[in-house]
Amino acid sequence: MNISRHGEEGIRILFGEKIDLEIHERVRRYYFFLKSLQLKEITDIIPSFRSCLIFFDRKKTSFKTLTASLQEKEFFIGHVNIPEPKTCEVPVEYGGESGFDIDFVASHTGLSEDEIVEIHTSVTYTVFAVGFMPGFPYLGILDQRLYVPRLETPRLRVPEGSVGLAQLQTGIYPFHSPAGWRIIGKTNKKLFDYNKEPYSILQIGDKVRFISV
Amino acid sequence: MIEIVHPGIMSLVIDGGRYGHREVGVPPSPALDSYALSTLNHLLGNEDNAPAIEVFGEKFSLRFNADVCCAITGAKVRASLHGRTLHSWMSFEARSGELLTVDNVMDGFRYYVGFSGTPVLEKIIESYSTNLECRFGGYRGRALQKGDRIDFENIRTVNMQRIPEEFIPKMNPPHTLRVLKGPEFHYFTEDSLEEFMDSESRMVFTVSTKANRTGIRLEGKPLTFRVGADESIISEGLLPGSIQVPGDGLPIIQLHERTIGGYARPAVIAKADHDLLAHLKPGDSVTFKMIEMEEAESLYDRRMEIVTLLKKGCRR
Repeated sequence: MNISRHGEEGIRILFGEKIDLEIHERVRRYYFFLKSLQLKEITDIIPSFRSCLIFFDRKKTSFKTLTASLQEKEFFIGHVNIPEPKTCEVPVEYGGESGFDIDFVASHTGLSEDEIVEIHTSVTYTVFAVGFMPGFPYLGILDQRLYVPRLETPRLRVPEGSVGLAQLQTGIYPFHSPAGWRIIGKTNKKLFDYNKEPYSILQIGDKVRFISV
Repeated sequence: MIEIVHPGIMSLVIDGGRYGHREVGVPPSPALDSYALSTLNHLLGNEDNAPAIEVFGEKFSLRFNADVCCAITGAKVRASLHGRTLHSWMSFEARSGELLTVDNVMDGFRYYVGFSGTPVLEKIIESYSTNLECRFGGYRGRALQKGDRIDFENIRTVNMQRIPEEFIPKMNPPHTLRVLKGPEFHYFTEDSLEEFMDSESRMVFTVSTKANRTGIRLEGKPLTFRVGADESIISEGLLPGSIQVPGDGLPIIQLHERTIGGYARPAVIAKADHDLLAHLKPGDSVTFKMIEMEEAESLYDRRMEIVTLLKKGCRR
């Protein structure tokens, strides 16, 4: 675990340098540890693949004081209650108009459309992070055979519900959005509802299974 | 009540921002110039982070359908109210039926129009700010349009005030943005970093026409990645003001609408200069200057002291 200051009000806690379930577990545990402390001086936390980014309020604490206090409480990390991961099924309409990049994925990987769907639906994915936009789950780890590069120039807009691939990740765009991932399908499942808590149905550590409809 | 007669190029309802939910990707979407917002609210006797309208572009115009106190801060503008000429950074009284029009924007880019009352709008995730991309918050989740009406409650009368000239920040180009080292500083060649962050070397970037409320793209000499450095990183939590450099080497200044990013970050803009980002307009010249953490902290603290000073002045 490597602690460094990032900007005036950020603390970056780094757990590793790769996409890996063991590193993810440590990030997740640390995130729930931070939440359990309920510190007023922490205004936001962003857990992701290999780090937790903490936002703190300099009016209430300093980098030194806060990191010292976190280190003091570290013994407690092993005893934090971590929620049982939820498994969420996501129905997807693959290919066609909603999965407009599936031909590209097929030609890039040498797989048929059916094989792509078969491989994509055969894995239970882990939510490594939620973000970039509200409710967007970064899901891994994608089967190597579906590896495709990101678009060199992102599209300005893909429809909400679009399911995309990039490198060893897959994800779902909960809103219309610019997108650099290859879109292979679309879901009607609502991932984010700003009118009621929890706003995002997925959080770090949850599991996702795609079902072809 | 007010009615939008002309929305300028774009106007939207914002407040101090939406915090505490970045863990599920909810960006803060605050006023881009937070100093302008808190000063505006100070002039109007509102809470620091109370909602207002953020505008860019001339011709913004609205009609008052109630007597209310109003003010404009941020960019220096010349406006007119029922034949009277007005300027930004002062409060004024508007009567029902009068028309406010912003005729010229002189210095800066974005300006803030506020009222001495509370708009009757629904808070979404604890904030009035508009999330334009996801279409929630603000006024029906979108930018304001001609004919939109906003009601106000708790309208108060406040003493007319003017913000002294020395408390109005400089917003005109060329802009020098002070930066702190970012996590991927070492991804770039020494020569490239020296050119990029040493204000003496006068490496000048230009704000691209592709700049928007999410990020500001810059054009100029691309930064060079070191041999062996990855052009993208494992996506990670993003600080507002992060300078991200994609494969083409041209920096993008991330504002407040993204929580996770996947590009290398050689630097992050010092908080003291975040408000200035609201005033970077296409074509403006930008240079960067690397500073140390202590300096960044004291620069920002001094900025905050001004807000406190203004408030004290009001009580006297």
